[in-house]
Amino acid sequence: MKGQGRKSTTSQSREVKKPTEMDQKDEAIVNQQEAPVPSDSEEDSDYEYSGDSDYDYDSSDSLDYQSESAGSGELEENDDDNSGDSEGAESQDEDAVNPDGGSEGSDLHQGGGVESDSSEDEVAPRNTIGEVPLKWYADEPHIGYDITGKKIKKKEKADKLDSFLKNVDDSKNWRKIYDEYNDEVVELTKDEIKMVRRLIKNGAPHADFDPHPTYVDWFKWDDAKHPLSNAPEPKRRFIPSKWEAKKVVQYVRAIRKGLITFDKPKEADGPYLLWEDDSGLAEKEKHLTYIPAPKQKLPGHDESYNPPLEYIPTQEEINSYQLMFEEDRPKFIPKSFGSMRSIPAYENAMKEAFERCLDLYLCPRIRKKRLNIDPESLKPKLPSKKELKPYPVTCYIEFKGHEGAVTSISIEASGQWMASGSSDGTVRVWEVETGRCLRRWEVGEPVSCVAWNPLSDIHILAVSAGQDVLLLNTCLGDEEEQKRIKELLWAEPPKTSDDAGTKAPSVSWVKDDEHEGIRLKHLKAVTSVEWHRKGDYFSTVMPKGESRSVLIHQLSKKATQKLPFKLRGIAVRSTFHPSRSIFFICTQKSVRVYDLLKSKLIKKLDTGLKEASSIAVHPGGDNLIVGSKEGKLCWFDMDLSSKPYKILKCHPKDINNVVFHRSYPLFATCSDDGTAYVFHGMVYSDLNKNPLIVPLEILRGHANSNGKGMLDCKFHPRQPWLFTAGADKLIKLYCHH
Amino acid sequence: MVKHYRPAGKKKEGNAAKFLTRTQALKQLQISLPLFRKLCILKGVTPREPKKKFKGNDKTYYHVKDVSFLHHEPLLEIHRAIRVHERKIKKAEAKKNLERANRLREKTPKPKIDRIIRQRYPRFVDALGELDDCLTMVHLFAALPATESKKIDVERVHKCRRLAHEWQAFVSRTHKLRKTFVSVKGIYYQAEVEGQTITWLTPHSLQQVVSNDVDIPTMLNFLQIYEPLLGFINFHLYHSIKLKYPPILDTRLEALAADLYALSRYANANNRPAILNSEASQSVESEQMESKPIGAETENKDSELRLAQLQHQLPSNEPGALMHLVEKAAGEDEEEYDEETRQCKNLFQNVKIFLSREVPRESLLFIIPAFGGIVSWEGEGAPFVESDQGITHQIVDREAQGHRFLSREYVQPQWVFDCVNARIILPTENYLVGRIPPPHLSPFVDYDEEGAYVPEYAKTIKHLQAAARKEVLPLPGLEKDLEDPQNLLVEGVIDRAAANHAAKEKQKMMVHELRYQEDLKKELQGATYTSAGSTAREETSAGLIQTGESTNNGQGNVDDGAEMSKLLLSRKKRKLLEAMRISNERKQTKNDVIVRRKKKIDEAQNQRS
Repeated sequence: MKGQGRKSTTSQSREVKKPTEMDQKDEAIVNQQEAPVPSDSEEDSDYEYSGDSDYDYDSSDSLDYQSESAGSGELEENDDDNSGDSEGAESQDEDAVNPDGGSEGSDLHQGGGVESDSSEDEVAPRNTIGEVPLKWYADEPHIGYDITGKKIKKKEKADKLDSFLKNVDDSKNWRKIYDEYNDEVVELTKDEIKMVRRLIKNGAPHADFDPHPTYVDWFKWDDAKHPLSNAPEPKRRFIPSKWEAKKVVQYVRAIRKGLITFDKPKEADGPYLLWEDDSGLAEKEKHLTYIPAPKQKLPGHDESYNPPLEYIPTQEEINSYQLMFEEDRPKFIPKSFGSMRSIPAYENAMKEAFERCLDLYLCPRIRKKRLNIDPESLKPKLPSKKELKPYPVTCYIEFKGHEGAVTSISIEASGQWMASGSSDGTVRVWEVETGRCLRRWEVGEPVSCVAWNPLSDIHILAVSAGQDVLLLNTCLGDEEEQKRIKELLWAEPPKTSDDAGTKAPSVSWVKDDEHEGIRLKHLKAVTSVEWHRKGDYFSTVMPKGESRSVLIHQLSKKATQKLPFKLRGIAVRSTFHPSRSIFFICTQKSVRVYDLLKSKLIKKLDTGLKEASSIAVHPGGDNLIVGSKEGKLCWFDMDLSSKPYKILKCHPKDINNVVFHRSYPLFATCSDDGTAYVFHGMVYSDLNKNPLIVPLEILRGHANSNGKGMLDCKFHPRQPWLFTAGADKLIKLYCHH
Repeated sequence: MVKHYRPAGKKKEGNAAKFLTRTQALKQLQISLPLFRKLCILKGVTPREPKKKFKGNDKTYYHVKDVSFLHHEPLLEIHRAIRVHERKIKKAEAKKNLERANRLREKTPKPKIDRIIRQRYPRFVDALGELDDCLTMVHLFAALPATESKKIDVERVHKCRRLAHEWQAFVSRTHKLRKTFVSVKGIYYQAEVEGQTITWLTPHSLQQVVSNDVDIPTMLNFLQIYEPLLGFINFHLYHSIKLKYPPILDTRLEALAADLYALSRYANANNRPAILNSEASQSVESEQMESKPIGAETENKDSELRLAQLQHQLPSNEPGALMHLVEKAAGEDEEEYDEETRQCKNLFQNVKIFLSREVPRESLLFIIPAFGGIVSWEGEGAPFVESDQGITHQIVDREAQGHRFLSREYVQPQWVFDCVNARIILPTENYLVGRIPPPHLSPFVDYDEEGAYVPEYAKTIKHLQAAARKEVLPLPGLEKDLEDPQNLLVEGVIDRAAANHAAKEKQKMMVHELRYQEDLKKELQGATYTSAGSTAREETSAGLIQTGESTNNGQGNVDDGAEMSKLLLSRKKRKLLEAMRISNERKQTKNDVIVRRKKKIDEAQNQRS
């Protein structure tokens, strides 16, 4: 806009701006349209030059002009315009004749309040280069030439910072425009701004200009002596239009037919009393259950703008968050702001709101019962342990002497003696009450199992070591008993070799001179020996023996027989029923129950374990427990089902042995974690009543060595005492108080 | 189980028959995904979790009934109509038939939300119960800058603002506000309306940043249901206190950003409907102008100056119409208030508060009247000026150099929030301007929970509350922290010197006690050492040893009981127990961290003193 104004050459502007006394009004208008450029020196840039003291005209005149311009009517203005045009033409002529005077006049206008004498020096030089690209002068020291052909020097550029500071302080800064053409800063007046606005809106520059004036008819139609037309008024002016009627009929028909439809009246969609009657909504809607969205978590102290000091993490803690996993990292780090005015806008506000939205419509809703209970209440109520006494509680005696891990122990039927076998290849017999070691045999190979004959008068010890089973005479008891034992332990020298040819015996009974006993030579390593309750038979288990893995030996006849059944899986342990002729074989995954008389499989118990390690039968005979290498203990009620009645996960490591007490309702497990659990296991004679299992005590005391803990445990036959054998070469006796 | 072969066209069974994946649902409904989302949002349909995810875990599943529910939904039809309509408009525009385009635009079908609201919330209480998200969203949008590029238009922001203020005015007038909390995220309010606890968050009154990773259309979809919902709820609530609903506001106050005050004064005008009407017309006008600054040609001229001028041009009616109206109506049903409301109402009964600049005015203008206080602020339209002699408290955030009145106390804004939460007028001593205020505690924390950490100031407040109730609560020794003058005040030991003396004594005692405890500990440890030593000696001495009691067993006894009772649990319960243990442990560690920090801070303070 400004540039446009500038483009007119100075002579033109002079022509137009030439003031005459007669057309002040016109002058003002034109001046405004041309957008006069107030010089820098001008303080008040309004074009109220009428107020200037050295203005040629009378002050009264100028005042007149002002009032006129303020309140002038449109018509008047138009008239003025018209007259002004003619006057302007006159002035042009004048100007052409007298150029000097004209220049003076223009100076007067532009100079404003400056003295007319010095005005020529003060006035900003007018550039005369015309409409050429300004970049031609970009590298020159001047911006162009003034009217006399002198170079106009470029002004020094102000420091950017200074000019900025100046601009900041200046409230009128926004009205200032840099005029590149003349290299000066121009401040627009308020009126000019208004004009610019009008022009932006495609209006006329002048505020008073009316683009659509009311038309004033200059022709007088009435009362003319000679009218333009003397024709009478036509008839059609007095009758209704036929065409209109047709159109109306057309519309009516169209409306009737429904071709034209009307807009429906707008419905008010403001709020109204929506829930006026809540009561009638008792009946349920036929729809799925609606789960209301969970409410958002309420903020705690840490989200406060001024949290307690202890909630604010230290810098080190904040740094340590970086080391955490992304998920574990706290999402919100409490921070304290000294006062409310210093709280900044929360940058995640939008994001969190959005995430909540996503949760609301993308997440499936599930009603989850949040258990708000004491964790203790989950645990079953157990009868108090005091009522279940006596049971082994404290370590009473330690038996020391073995130089290797004690792998197996066995208590004599009277409870007076205890035998133990160790991996150092020795078998020892101890006196229980005193802890004295009575006898000691060197077997040569690591002992895997020892077992006393269950009869109290036959003091024979069965020891399995390596591939052999030794039957040892412990030399206890009186002479008569010794005599019987010696008879029993008298083995015939091996028969002629022709027998061996026909049928390779799985076991050979050999007299063992060194230990004064019998040696049963097996084909594979024997892991366990178990006596029948009558003390005549005993069974051995060779896990690698395949079809002969379980053998039953008869002591009196020195005979061996293998089981007439096929066994699936690797046998781990075997045991006899405490009262009936039933035989249990525990394989890794199941327990097989055979009737020895009928030689028939009675039952197969599915343990669900990966690898069973031990089995024990309740003295009642209907319940049995199986320990496994994953530390689980299964209690089977044989009458109930072939599945365990209860599975207890008590040990973190392998269970090595499980035992029932012969008379007390107790059973125990021992494990490689170095602990033994003592349970109360009551079996009721009432068949409707399930067995009661109560854990009583955890017995600790054995140290772990080589990942092995407690290797064996046995109950005392009469007392509620528990013997445990550990891999730490110790045997311990736990007694009740 | 053998997977049965199902011949084609046979009915499905089980989960596959009951659930649909989203893609299947889209296909069945024959709509686009955005529209489906919108429908789900409007209708409140959420995915459901089938027991077996027959199409994979990465899919979202919708119930067949939910989908068919959408299928029969008139909204679907309306949206189809809208699409058709948009096409028509486009065509008309392409043909330069602007008149038709405009007419069509006006005739665009609108989905009816009221029916949906009624369907989703059959009872008023249901709607109130789920108002949290609605209020939070509306308050958030009320604070957002209107950006055309994000499709947040001015009208929407203004509507949200208006609705929010209407809600606040109701809560404030009926004194339903219960708790407030100034957090970093914004200011939380909790109100209790018709037995429903409603909590909402208002952002701080600062410029909100609309980040680019937020999908505004989704939020606008939510707003589409939230706006009318809040409108209906406000209508119902205003109706219940016998007020005309779209409240007619004093435009001048509105322009001065004191809409809330204007709203609460609105109720006053029941007896002068004539003025109201005039106000109404004015307000409507002004609102139009505000919402459409580029509307009429006359207003067009100085659109830039519009806002600035608005403040001067607005009619100088009697300011603050709404609050008084509400108050008057309130006086009638005084008896209906329950105990808590009455308590809330009378909290600031004898308090006259003046808000200086730089305090969260909107929030305080909401809270203080809600608790029965009289409030004014600096600026135009305020009910009373700063020099009013009746003012008891002046809320100031920054210490000013101006004239200070001796008759009033200059407190920080936090004082109001803390008073409200404590339901007593707290001593202003700690909140005076220029001091570091005591910590601002969350009123939402439940201290009853076992093992919860109770900050010191919470204890102080508790004692102050007890003192206010004229109960003498015995101060346990631990809580009598003498660094805290609050406690001393309660005890009546106001004298500073005495306090210091007591503090010293206390510290001495503490030191003694600590020493004693340490001694005890040492003794204990020594004892165990000796016993252990003796056993060791015994073990080495002979081949067989009789020990009275194995040390191992003694130690193990404590957790043995717990361990053993766990044995008999079923696997499910055992896992549950384990989960509980873990969560409890996590809580405990969190607490421990805080306690440890507290200890450190205390130590540092002690050292300094």
